[in-house]
Amino acid sequence: MNRFDEFALEEALLIRERIPRDEKAVIHALSVGPARIGLTLKKAMAMGADEGIHILVEQEHYMSPFDTASLIASYAKNMGYDLILTGVMAEDDMHCLVGQFIAEILAYPCVTSVIHQEFIDDGNKLYVEREVETGRRICLQLNPPAVLTIQSGINTPRYPSLSNVMRAKDQEIITIDAKKLLALEKREKLVSLSYPEPSLKGMFLEGTPREKAGALLRILHEKSFI
Amino acid sequence: MKSQIVVIAEHTGGVIQPVTYEVVSFAVELGKMIDRKTQVVIFGKSIRTSAQQIAEKTGLPVIGIENEYLDLYNGEVFKAAALKALETVDFGYICLPHTATGFDLAPRLAFFLHASCITSVEKVRAGNGDIRFVRPLFNGKLQAELAPATHRSVLTILPGAWPPVEIHPEAKGSVDIVTTDLVPGASRTIASKESEKGTLNLDDAEVIISAGRGIRDPENLHLLKKLAKIFPKSALGSSKGACDLGWLGYEHQIGITGQTVSPKLYIACGISGAVQHIAGMKSSQIIVAINSDPDASIFNVADYGIVENLETFIPCLLEEFRNFMQQKPLTTFRAVNRTKMDRPEQERR
Repeated sequence: MNRFDEFALEEALLIRERIPRDEKAVIHALSVGPARIGLTLKKAMAMGADEGIHILVEQEHYMSPFDTASLIASYAKNMGYDLILTGVMAEDDMHCLVGQFIAEILAYPCVTSVIHQEFIDDGNKLYVEREVETGRRICLQLNPPAVLTIQSGINTPRYPSLSNVMRAKDQEIITIDAKKLLALEKREKLVSLSYPEPSLKGMFLEGTPREKAGALLRILHEKSFI
Repeated sequence: MKSQIVVIAEHTGGVIQPVTYEVVSFAVELGKMIDRKTQVVIFGKSIRTSAQQIAEKTGLPVIGIENEYLDLYNGEVFKAAALKALETVDFGYICLPHTATGFDLAPRLAFFLHASCITSVEKVRAGNGDIRFVRPLFNGKLQAELAPATHRSVLTILPGAWPPVEIHPEAKGSVDIVTTDLVPGASRTIASKESEKGTLNLDDAEVIISAGRGIRDPENLHLLKKLAKIFPKSALGSSKGACDLGWLGYEHQIGITGQTVSPKLYIACGISGAVQHIAGMKSSQIIVAINSDPDASIFNVADYGIVENLETFIPCLLEEFRNFMQQKPLTTFRAVNRTKMDRPEQERR
């Protein structure tokens, strides 16, 4: 599971813990991708998600964040979720886009880079702090339904409990064929994937640790740092 | 007139963020490739001074949108302000810095304008009649070349990828301030708070020793502190990962959502080199990286790479430093002696 999504899922679990049991708050862990992402959904269920929803896409084509968001929004539209949490970005491609696109398509308010959230006003409003440059925080109030994209460090994601692991093992994942959802027209095309040109900038210091230390100190001395 | 390239300037309380000038630099480069002019827009409560500053520095025309709700960032209100500014501009590209503000606003605009959205652009290329944008994947180990499939595009530019603009304009650009009616929708920005743990100004440090998750144990921070002590004007930095684990306070964080630094010397210890971190320290004058993983992305930006376990390497480095310092005065002394001895001989000749 993407590290940022672990924080988002943990935040959802913390919200559910604060809601009285008789109100029956339910968490759906949803992911878009090929068959192998079933394992990630099982992990989410083992952490405590009630259901795993798999939007199945055979990855023949490039999926941009907009494409992913349009599938999620198409599914979420009929579900009437009160709150949609995503990671602020994916660890591998760090687009920082999916959450905002889901919100725009559904016309929900959205706050990104969320480092603190709490329901106020008898659960009718959300108070949210987002982390921006130099660790500064911007504080907002918003009316749910809403989308929050969660920043790392907001909480400490839990390990799966044994009882949840056993439940997740037996529970079926709900699989939805992406073709049955309404995907919006593609807006970006992938031209190529390549390895970047090797940087000619640097050099590795060679030798024993002591020789490397000596070499580094000579360089720092030449450059008048020591 | 041909469609233009629009740059959305970023400022904090009227102080223009340096990344704004990096985005201008990108826009000017793109403009040369496709023969388009650049227009800057800026939003705020009272924005004339900042708008004039940009117009003077870049020679580009600036539109300022003023409204009381534009004091602090709010995605919905800023989106409305941007659409207001764009009413009078024919544009093909909108460019923002890839910051917490830029990446928040970019997709909101793209969705509304039926535009493509490409974030953390680090290179631009012309190919077969179209323009392609290159962005890093897997912390720069791979790169993707993307082309918009739409008439218009919204782009966020990776901090540190372009140098700040160096235009010395003959004349300052025009400034056009528009006051507009805007009201917040379902979300409302109420305040801004400084980092809870106080601020640490890393700008003053000439040498920054930075810790990443690769230091493995917060106990090892004392090694980095000892290393920092051998340099005057040094400070301790950190990756976001190490801050998230609580090893160091967020005031030490370098990168996107942290501080951007460019010290004379940056020593990265156990930092893998996430793009978000590199964007905040790439412009350091000399970068030394110590990491046990030879494939770590940090080595792509390092001037000097050392593949070692820092738990054993830093003590060794400190020991060698002590030896070095004991030898150094001697060496200097001898050198001085030699010159003294040599000089009379030369004079005699």
